[in-house]
Amino acid sequence: MDAALKALAEPRRRAILRLVWSQELPATDIADTFADVSRPAISQHLAVLKDAKLVTERRDGTRRLYKANVDTMAQLRAFLDDYWTSGLERLRDVAEAAETRKRQTKGRK
Amino acid sequence: MAELVREIMIDATPETIWPFLVDPEKHVEWLGTVADIDPRPGGVYRVLVQGRHQSAGEYVEVVPLEKVVFTFGWEEEGNPIRPGSSTIEISLHPEGDKTLVRLAHRGLPEDAVSDHTHGWDHYLGRLAVAGSGGDAGPDDVSPREAAGA
Repeated sequence: MDAALKALAEPRRRAILRLVWSQELPATDIADTFADVSRPAISQHLAVLKDAKLVTERRDGTRRLYKANVDTMAQLRAFLDDYWTSGLERLRDVAEAAETRKRQTKGRK
Repeated sequence: MAELVREIMIDATPETIWPFLVDPEKHVEWLGTVADIDPRPGGVYRVLVQGRHQSAGEYVEVVPLEKVVFTFGWEEEGNPIRPGSSTIEISLHPEGDKTLVRLAHRGLPEDAVSDHTHGWDHYLGRLAVAGSGGDAGPDDVSPREAAGA
């Protein structure tokens, strides 16, 4: 199973991702937010998110800081936009060309 | 789940447009450089775009001249839209001699990663405006701000 999908399938990891969506936080602060989860468990969740490229990790001395990888989403948005917009425009062009040929054959228009 | 919808009016009948959706040789005239497609429920959907983006999925529903539905994603490392994780429905709606083609991309990872406020909502909202023929205007919100910073 794929890393990103697997990473997002766990509710706790989604909660961590939302926490670091707009702010960079050290691992200790993230762990403190989840009083019912052990620190090693939080570290493990962060490692999974990092491997899936959903968060970026930055070291500051002995601290490790985490932040959601927003670039991934922005790039994806641009890619999707271009993908379907240009795709449908090309579909229109080739279909209209085919339609014109049909109509000429039939003697319409 | 988030949904992206795009529509385009084509001056052609569904009979003319349909083969471009289901015939591999015609499919690559508008999307992909290699199309390995078997348009029947359970059939494979594999379209290689620009020689490097491998999209992949499986057909769910095929209604001749009306619609194709297939699961969709990219096999590239790090792309959050994985094969099978989202669904595309392309439907044809005849209007006189013309046909409205609607493409709906469902199951995008909005609620998994945004906080139900910004990010994907912002971008998908813009896409909806642009897709309906309007001008969404310059995108002056940086990705970071759009993400709720």
